[in-house]
Amino acid sequence: MFNSSLKLAASVGLAAMLIGASAASAKTLVYCSEGSPESFTPAMNGTGTSFDANRPVFDKLTAFERGGTNVGPGLATSWDVTDGGKTLTFHLRKGVKFHSGVNGFKPTRDFNADDVLFSFNRQWKENHPYFKVSGGKYDYFNDMDMPALLDTIEKTDDYTIVMKLKEPNMPILANLAMDFASIHSAEYADFLMKAGKPEQFDQIPVGTGPFIFVTYQKDAMIRFKKNPDYFGEKALVDDLVFAITPDPTARLAKLKAGECHFAIAPRPADLEEIKKDKSLSLISQSGLNVSYWAFNTEKAPFDKKEVRQAFNMAIDHDAIIKEVFLGSGTAAKNLIPPTLWSYNDKVPSYSYDPEKAKAMLKAAGVTTPLEIDLWYLPVQRPYNPNGKRMAEMMQADLAKIGVNAKLVTYEWGEYRKRMQKGEHMTGQLGWTGDNGDPDNFFFLRGCAASKGGQNVTKWCNKEYDDRLNKAKSTSDMAERTKLYEEMQVIEHEEAPDMKIGHSIVFEAMRAEVTGYKQSPFGSHEFQGVDVK
Amino acid sequence: MIKFILRRLLLTIPTFVALMFVTFIAIRLVPGDPVEVRTGEHGISPERLAYFRHELGLDQPIWKQFLDYVWHLLHGDFGVSLSSNEKVLTEFLTLFPATLELSFAGILFAVILGIPAGVFAAVKRGSWFDHTLMGAAVAGFSMPIFWWGLLLIMLVSEGWHLTPVAGRIDMIKFYFEPTTGFMLIDSLLSDQKGAFLSALHHLVLPMIVLGTVPLAVIARMTRSSMLEVLSEDYVRTARAKGLSEFRVISLHALRNALIPVVTVVGLQVGGLLAGAVLTETIFSWPGVGKWLIDSIGRRDYPALQGGILLISSLVIIINLLVDLLYGAINPRIRHG
Repeated sequence: MFNSSLKLAASVGLAAMLIGASAASAKTLVYCSEGSPESFTPAMNGTGTSFDANRPVFDKLTAFERGGTNVGPGLATSWDVTDGGKTLTFHLRKGVKFHSGVNGFKPTRDFNADDVLFSFNRQWKENHPYFKVSGGKYDYFNDMDMPALLDTIEKTDDYTIVMKLKEPNMPILANLAMDFASIHSAEYADFLMKAGKPEQFDQIPVGTGPFIFVTYQKDAMIRFKKNPDYFGEKALVDDLVFAITPDPTARLAKLKAGECHFAIAPRPADLEEIKKDKSLSLISQSGLNVSYWAFNTEKAPFDKKEVRQAFNMAIDHDAIIKEVFLGSGTAAKNLIPPTLWSYNDKVPSYSYDPEKAKAMLKAAGVTTPLEIDLWYLPVQRPYNPNGKRMAEMMQADLAKIGVNAKLVTYEWGEYRKRMQKGEHMTGQLGWTGDNGDPDNFFFLRGCAASKGGQNVTKWCNKEYDDRLNKAKSTSDMAERTKLYEEMQVIEHEEAPDMKIGHSIVFEAMRAEVTGYKQSPFGSHEFQGVDVK
Repeated sequence: MIKFILRRLLLTIPTFVALMFVTFIAIRLVPGDPVEVRTGEHGISPERLAYFRHELGLDQPIWKQFLDYVWHLLHGDFGVSLSSNEKVLTEFLTLFPATLELSFAGILFAVILGIPAGVFAAVKRGSWFDHTLMGAAVAGFSMPIFWWGLLLIMLVSEGWHLTPVAGRIDMIKFYFEPTTGFMLIDSLLSDQKGAFLSALHHLVLPMIVLGTVPLAVIARMTRSSMLEVLSEDYVRTARAKGLSEFRVISLHALRNALIPVVTVVGLQVGGLLAGAVLTETIFSWPGVGKWLIDSIGRRDYPALQGGILLISSLVIIINLLVDLLYGAINPRIRHG
């Protein structure tokens, strides 16, 4: 007992000391993150938590502007599109240094085309010496259809890379700015291979990015230091620490106590409290995602446009946003969120009108009571916090127009598979954007994706699909924007689904943090961020 | 004595076999497999799914998977974590010191406070202290750890600023590479001024949270055991001999009263590890409890199987040690 009281007494004194001290070392930025990364090779990872932990170290050929989805130069300073969009020639940046001194590695040369070849071939060529290292899962490279898009990647000299595509595809420039396309040091890979420990390549990263990796202690912290030689926007703090704090209540408490400067994903219930606290600031933006209720257009009566429109009018949309998202979502009217370029704000929303919906059903020759199934998400997704609750509200609304909806669900993997096969009549699903290119959303309603793929509405409309393909192959931004805007109008009229909502992403930080820009991707970047 | 130890050791073998089997089957009964669970809206093509299932050996019949698993275990190979590609044993040993440090602190806190409190309550039976203590013990025993942890953070850390909120050390001020994995030792070895105090300071709150349930159990057990012993003839005899009350209680009564308490402390170790899962999550304490929970979410079969087996082995060993200790305290058991 005595011992314990001593400890407590010591704590009291110490607390006062520590609180006084933390302000002095202001050039360390502490980010309270959610969890441990899967690895330090972005190509092998699949979660935002992992990418956030990898991103300080790496650059890509192209780059998203900080806080936006526009694609600009990265390790490639410029590129030429020739051969009708099938050949991309990248001119690489000269004089870029890889981090020196990490894991005993000292680079002898600057970044060049060999590093680009290494980074892509590792994920692509099964005979590459690093292909199978650390398990060889390159989910994003495959998810973004890179093997189907790429014909060859070659270097013509040390600072020129030529990428030949099987068909014209402009969104690939955005793919190349994604984390999986991070450029690694080929020399470091050789160095580790010779030392007989290639698996360290994915645990102790070497890149060209704004921060240099220092250490990682699983489930505890990741530490980076500033890269003074960085070619782009430099780090303003000397040290960047990810304090891994899985519990959101503890994250907020740490933020308030000044133990971290920035905290990921505050709980919706805590938002009011954060807003009131003068020492904190809260920013928000709609997330790069959408949730929708898909109608299987191959099954009657959803093969009729008027029926699908009637269903859009039958649901009290605002009530769902209010009750299910609890302040962390906005109503959607287009497939893309408003933060994405080409968002067409002129498209109207369907208004809630059960009487009109009933009349439209009757006019379309549908006899009530109509029996349908309504599949609801078995898991929480970023775009849908509670599929079941949402389905129950929809069910109640549908009853008002004489439709009896039977609620159905399966285990998540099974659910997705069955919907892609088209076993449902109607069902909830959604999408989280990958590369900030509108094509990454609009393909979800394309004809190619309707055959056993991601288009769970099975809707295939020539007018829409022609525009989709045309937009993909043209590099003229104005032209692409126009095509996507038109597609949103077509989709609204045809109503293959009911758009439900986009999440709202909140970020909480201490008031002394400056220069932070919220990313529409929900990612976190700390170059250009300072602690005053 | 040797015979006693051998018999106890032999008895642990069927327990281990059952454990291997149960952990192996239980995780496979959970829907979703390790390959599919990591795919989002993109899903995964049947070819890639088949490729990875083959790479991980998941396309083999279940009995063959089990035999492979046992075969590797017999060679000391716990497999490789599916999510991090690290050896399960390495990962476990990296994280385990944190759990051990916290558990040790928790049990120390419980013993140091619980035994004197129990003794005092027994001696002053029926007093206000006794009633308060026993009331508090019931409350402590039924305390939901998650709620208790968050409450203490809000009160002690946020409200009174007495302790840090979470973590093992002040990351802004101190940085050193771990040598032993025990933060208290590493901070001493680091030669950084104030690091040890910071580590100690970070340990206080999680220690209290984790130690609360065992504290309640130990205090109650000590009290009732003490009450029983105090009414024994030899205590009356000791008093009749004119020994001081202190000598009677500490020497004659306490040693005998401690026998059941030692058993209870041993049994608490299992519960302590269960409590560590929650405590680690609340206090961002990088131990094995949190790692296991994450592994369930990721369907990381090797990590889960290995982790549970290692922890269970530890509980079995500790219970074995307690049995032996019991024998040492009470010679009648050793010879019985």
